[in-house]
Amino acid sequence: MEGLLAGNEEAVRALYARFARPIFTLGLRLLGSAEAAEELTQDVFLAAWRKAARFDPSRGRLSTWLMTIAHNLAVDRLRRETGVTRPRLILVDEIPEILGPDEDEVLMERDVAIRALASLSDAEKRLLARAYFGGLTAREIAEADHIPLGTVKTRLRTALIKVRRANQDKERP
Amino acid sequence: MNCLEVRELLPELAVGVLAPEDRERVERHLRSCAGCRKEATDLGSAAAMFAFALEPARVPQGLGDRVVARVRRAAGAPGTPRRARMAAAAVVAAMVAVASLGWGAVMAGRADRFAERAEQAERQQAEALERFQRILAGVIPGQELPEDQTYLGRLAPVAGGSGGGAVLQLVSPTIQDFAMVIVSGLDPADGSMPYRVQLVNAGGEVLRAGLIDELDADGGAEMFHRFKTADLTGYTAVNVVDATGELVLSGAVDQSA
Repeated sequence: MEGLLAGNEEAVRALYARFARPIFTLGLRLLGSAEAAEELTQDVFLAAWRKAARFDPSRGRLSTWLMTIAHNLAVDRLRRETGVTRPRLILVDEIPEILGPDEDEVLMERDVAIRALASLSDAEKRLLARAYFGGLTAREIAEADHIPLGTVKTRLRTALIKVRRANQDKERP
Repeated sequence: MNCLEVRELLPELAVGVLAPEDRERVERHLRSCAGCRKEATDLGSAAAMFAFALEPARVPQGLGDRVVARVRRAAGAPGTPRRARMAAAAVVAAMVAVASLGWGAVMAGRADRFAERAEQAERQQAEALERFQRILAGVIPGQELPEDQTYLGRLAPVAGGSGGGAVLQLVSPTIQDFAMVIVSGLDPADGSMPYRVQLVNAGGEVLRAGLIDELDADGGAEMFHRFKTADLTGYTAVNVVDATGELVLSGAVDQSA
């Protein structure tokens, strides 16, 4: 991170080599075009450089930090600049499937993520995806599904905790 | 906000759908509460799994070089156009000063009422443009900055707001268009940042001109953006909006001038 702070080319390239692909992928998924995804990717690394001093490894992994920056920038862009109030609604069959890892170029993060998400029921995956990819707030989901707001919030939290626990189990030796 | 209230909102913070005003309040609490911060980190890590689980897309060739170049530029590494950017910003700063002397009146077509100040403004504007041409020539040899393709405008706060600024556009059929904005007096609060600069045409179409995610002690910043493909013709309205989408500064350039 010190290298990143200084704008060190090698540090930026190392970070890019490791995280550009998932960031670009998320941008493509949320923004819908390669051009917008490329712009987002550049914005993320620039933001990472600007905020590098604020990154605290004790508060989470670098990958999560970068992906949170990417997600926030993408959703922010969709909401404010295209006049769209939220990312396009996700279809059920667009939810990431629990697939086996690719044979080549396996990203460690993807492998971990796939295993962690396998702990969720289909309903939980759908709920989280509607928020994360669809941009629906808990209230909007509650109204759409005619269920109490508190129930949606509890389910969101429960699902996230399940993913987190599965991830922690995976990390344990 | 107490821990109970914050924790109820953390799942929505984690998946990025918390309303900006709530996000600001929650993040303020997180800065001073280790317990809630831990919970927020855990839930955020879980939400990020969805992004990592996506089928990886192919990254465009050369993107890495463009990312490195952009960060190096921002970091002010040797051999980058930072010097030119700063110098160009100084030119715009001079234009802001010009504006305060009556340049706005020139743009409004009332030069006859402010003849003396207008003459001074025009002289300073011409000098600024000459300096700008010299700067550009140092960065991109042979590239001219035709005076009749360079347009200026002022940015004023919306009703009840504060701050101000200036904008410069180059609109050319032969070289890449660019826009430069300098602002001052903006609110540096977390909930307001980042600010975005937008160029809007008469049809309401919006071009992103850039992002302001750092302000100096005076709430000031400058921004330079070259448009690789977009033509700025007609994009005369200039807006600066904050992170909540609220318009804070607005202005226009007169491309017919």
